[in-house]
Amino acid sequence: MTVTARWNADTAVEELYAAHYARLVRLAVLLVRDPETAEEVVQDSFVAMHGRWRTLKDPDSGLAYLRQTVVNRSRSVLRHRGVQARYVARHRTDAVPDAPPADHLALAIQRREQVLEALRELPDRQREVLALRYYLDLSEAEIAGTLGISRGAVKSHAFRGVAALRDRLGEHLEDL
Amino acid sequence: MNDRTDDDRMRRLLEDAVSDVTPRGRLEDIRARTARARHGRRGWLWGAGAGVVATAATVAAVVTLTQGPGTPGSAQGGFASNASGSHAASPGAQHASGQPPAATPQGTPTVVRSAASQPTPSKGTPVSTLTVPVYFVGDTPHGPRLYKDNQLAPASDPVRTAVHAAVAGNTLDPDYHSPWPAGTDVTGVTADSSGITVALKSGDTSLTARPAGMSRQTARIAVQQVVHTAQDAVGSQAPVNFTVAGKPASRLLGLDVSGGVKRAADLDVEAVVWVLSPAQGATVHSPFTVTGLANTFEANVVWELERNGHVVKQGHTTATQAMMMAPYSFTVHAPPGQYLLVVHDSDASGLGKVTEDTKAITVR
Repeated sequence: MTVTARWNADTAVEELYAAHYARLVRLAVLLVRDPETAEEVVQDSFVAMHGRWRTLKDPDSGLAYLRQTVVNRSRSVLRHRGVQARYVARHRTDAVPDAPPADHLALAIQRREQVLEALRELPDRQREVLALRYYLDLSEAEIAGTLGISRGAVKSHAFRGVAALRDRLGEHLEDL
Repeated sequence: MNDRTDDDRMRRLLEDAVSDVTPRGRLEDIRARTARARHGRRGWLWGAGAGVVATAATVAAVVTLTQGPGTPGSAQGGFASNASGSHAASPGAQHASGQPPAATPQGTPTVVRSAASQPTPSKGTPVSTLTVPVYFVGDTPHGPRLYKDNQLAPASDPVRTAVHAAVAGNTLDPDYHSPWPAGTDVTGVTADSSGITVALKSGDTSLTARPAGMSRQTARIAVQQVVHTAQDAVGSQAPVNFTVAGKPASRLLGLDVSGGVKRAADLDVEAVVWVLSPAQGATVHSPFTVTGLANTFEANVVWELERNGHVVKQGHTTATQAMMMAPYSFTVHAPPGQYLLVVHDSDASGLGKVTEDTKAITVR
């Protein structure tokens, strides 16, 4: 991508926010599950990118930095805050509708919960590789760069992650 | 199953898993923090983190969608009638997108913007859409009844889009309509554990009294149209409350809606035969499968394929269960051409009074 006009840090935040904020939040939901925490992580990442803009300079590096920061922060948030436990606890009290599923949309909501739950049970690296590969559609090389691991490792995490998800979600893999 | 379809399935699964996540944060929150950072405070990164989006509590089971300026979906025209095989942009969709931005009670413009200008991060990912059932009113021998039309709505704003389509009568099927007064706008739909709330804004006609010429039965069906659509889109059977111009409404179209409106029993409000696929205007290849739901006498479902007003094929089948809306399907072989597919219940009265659903389709 060629960019003729050079962005400053503020423009970079605005442009990348407009184009990628929602998707990065959803990426973070795949990683940490709790939507509130996910937004926190993404907002923090934007602030961090703003601080680093001088060394990033162009939109592609900015986006790469955002992705990397979102993944790293998601991982440390999981470690430090027991987010998942919190989320699960809150949901238990929020009790989902007692009525039977009205429709395939209600079933879809159940399926989403089960997918996020299955992701939650994976080891960090497997979850990260799956999210970057299948949600952001990154190449093996891009994933390796984002996570700071070898391409061979990306392959093996992806392989194990897919196998584990298929184990847990067999039926849902079929019905989408 | 080969690797490629496996990969596609994984993509769809993950895309779907977060398709109902609607970010609430605002660009302003980030701006405020970067401005502070510039003044040399660097304690914010984690210290303030928790507070920053504290007002943006987003729980996956709670859907809160508000129409903001720059109407969601408009950027992508992301709302079209869903047809197996129909790719035509729907006139209804243009209508939906062409709505002037309504005054928004508590707009979150930046969020809307970010959601609408949704990302194609590296390799063009398709715009994220969801299929939502939208209910419309059609005429039957038993009076006006609800029909269901599956439509695509942008994943960033599926619930309001669906309810708006219902009220505005955005459908490709000429047999369906909306009895709501022209100009009625749906400005937001919120849902939480206490129920669903649909925010309406009237056009020139007041929404409190029953408009001249509208029967009580039609008013009831109109309200149920919104109740059905909102409940299905949210995935809840909670009663639906209404606000008009921001104020809780106790009367709507001349009906008492105080305390919320429950979904009425199927037979009272729903047509007994629905065709869900193919959609109106769809192009299909022969043989094609027709699927739908029916709640007919002894689960009988009768169909005809008409060309230029003449029946060229006919048949019958049964739904999987009687006494309730239950799925049916049948397969039709037909040479290429334009047809009208008519599906109806059996004529128990012998008077030709059947409830039908019809779809104009093209066979390739």
